[in-house]
Amino acid sequence: MKRILADVTAFGRQYLRSRVGTFFALAFPVILILLFGAIFSSSGTPRVSLAVQDMDRTDASRGFVQALNNTTLISYQAIPPTASFQEYMRANAINVALQIPTGFQATIVRAEMGNASARVNVTLAGDPTQSSFGIAYSAVAAVANAFNLKIANATGVVSVGETPFTVQQFGYIDFFLPGIIGFTILTTPMFGMTSICAEYRTRRFFKLLATTKLSKAEWLAAKVVFYVLLLFLSVAIMMLVGIGVFGMKARLTPVAVLLIIAGAFEFTSLGMVLGIFVRDPGTGEALANAIGFPMMFLAGSFFPIDSMPSFLQTIARALPLTYINEGLRATMVLANDGTAVTYLLVTLGFAVVFFVVGARGLSWKSK
Amino acid sequence: MRPCDVAPPRVVAVDEHVIEVRGLVKRYPDITAVDGIDFDVSRGQVFSLLGPNGAGKTTTVEILEGLRDPTAGEARVLGQDVRSGYRRIRERVGVLPQDFEPFDRLRPREAVTYWARLFDHDVSEEAVASIIETVGLSNRADTFALNLSGGEKRRLGIAMALVGQPDLLFLDEPTTGLDPGARRELWTLIGDLKRKGRTILLTTHYLDEAEQLADDVAIMNHGKIVAHGSPSALISQFGGGTTIVLAGAGRGGSEALMARGIAAELHGADLFVHVPMAGQVRPMLAKLASIEIPLSEIYTKRSTLEDVFLKLVGARMEEGVLAA
Repeated sequence: MKRILADVTAFGRQYLRSRVGTFFALAFPVILILLFGAIFSSSGTPRVSLAVQDMDRTDASRGFVQALNNTTLISYQAIPPTASFQEYMRANAINVALQIPTGFQATIVRAEMGNASARVNVTLAGDPTQSSFGIAYSAVAAVANAFNLKIANATGVVSVGETPFTVQQFGYIDFFLPGIIGFTILTTPMFGMTSICAEYRTRRFFKLLATTKLSKAEWLAAKVVFYVLLLFLSVAIMMLVGIGVFGMKARLTPVAVLLIIAGAFEFTSLGMVLGIFVRDPGTGEALANAIGFPMMFLAGSFFPIDSMPSFLQTIARALPLTYINEGLRATMVLANDGTAVTYLLVTLGFAVVFFVVGARGLSWKSK
Repeated sequence: MRPCDVAPPRVVAVDEHVIEVRGLVKRYPDITAVDGIDFDVSRGQVFSLLGPNGAGKTTTVEILEGLRDPTAGEARVLGQDVRSGYRRIRERVGVLPQDFEPFDRLRPREAVTYWARLFDHDVSEEAVASIIETVGLSNRADTFALNLSGGEKRRLGIAMALVGQPDLLFLDEPTTGLDPGARRELWTLIGDLKRKGRTILLTTHYLDEAEQLADDVAIMNHGKIVAHGSPSALISQFGGGTTIVLAGAGRGGSEALMARGIAAELHGADLFVHVPMAGQVRPMLAKLASIEIPLSEIYTKRSTLEDVFLKLVGARMEEGVLAA
């Protein structure tokens, strides 16, 4: 135990004296919280800028635009009716634009007079892969539907009411925080350990350590202890920023604390497993990136897994980070400790396997 | 657990062999790095493995440190077999590996404390200060290792090797890559450790270093020990006695000596006359003085390990590389 504490102390001193390490462990997650928090937390729903070319310039077309504005999803800007629609979009770098054709009001009037074949199309142009396009499409479709109901003299029968799914009224930042904690649990120990293994091998520190009484398992345990402490410091700072700046309501639960410890154990060990294959800092970085980057996106740190195609969801279920992200969300946001404990056990299982493989596979001795 | 500064004395016979190596072999698919070597190192001795890069010195040392497994043969360190007893061995040896680099962001004081704790030694601040003083780093004890000079870093490595009062020190090429001043300073430090009775296994490719520091030298080449003995014994056996140098005598001088039946080697403008026996030096000097030869200077040169190496290996060695 004394050897482990000695290694934690010496390693910690070196780590915290390195500005790069400190930045990535402590400052980078805070920057992410501030960045994403500022983007998504300022209002409950995002607002999309929509350019509209009203070719009809009638009461009906102006009413359509006014209805769009009233959705609060749309920030309206006009395209001159004389401009070429597509050219104007290109010249002004407009992402989403709506064109209301000439004859819009006349068609509505014909429909109201009982002409069953009256039809008019409004055109929405833009990049369908952008989320802003989807938001604009939903808003335009909703307004068009309302117009159709009005023309048909009908009223909506089915409506949607809101009831909070969570125990408290959480904001976006509360849902985002577990993902950022998961992201930090992945990157700080795993990228750190891979680069440490590369450095220790090229600078012969492993050989030097092999001449002492410190075992590989003790060395790895020391790194786990250090990264647990570092991650708690990092999470504490993130939570202070989240609470202080964005009024975040999510709090660390006992299960979340255990998940952070298990996650640090898991990804420190995985870093050492990767270290088995690393010969120099260049390959270490490449290997950590190759494993880490797909995992952080596929495991639901930033995007919900349910929104992914089914084959990606299958892959996500095989990734260790998924269980940390989902477990943290379950306990911190949804107050579902039962699910979180299940994910905690899965995480511990991964951790033990990685620890054993890392401690046995990494060789300090020469061939 | 024992305090670093009050290590109990160990009862060891004076002639005890701290290291015993018999028929040691280390074979790789493409090369035999160590090819059946034998040697012993006695307590209190500085034993040097001398040879060019690739001779098998570091492989031998790393087998003795328990960092590599031998292919065949036997090696015992402090009475323990290196295959089965390396855990016990590492508790009693100090190691300065080849190309030692310290942890950049630790200060010497912190590094020595850390290292002592990895050996389960409870070290007092005074004990750490004493070790740092031994290696002459007291005024740099609180400087990040990153900012130490090459020689200071090696001193720090020796300080780390000294924690726990080891019975045996392995110093693997401790002065390689250092400037002449730093090398001399390390020689002084190693000399001090020797005077304090430390047993040291020193590998080097510097002939003068081995001659200066070692009680016993094993010259290695291509994985074999080609000669073994004290520097003076090796010099008297293989060095060819004394050389009389006739500086500036040139080809004319060479012809004049040949006419008198005196063998000489021409090296540039200088003539070398080898005198195998010490008793023959005076008569030869008198004989040479009687011959009219234009020269700028005449002096005698005692053979060195360099001459021994040249004779045994057939090439000179410069910075660990055999010169053609």
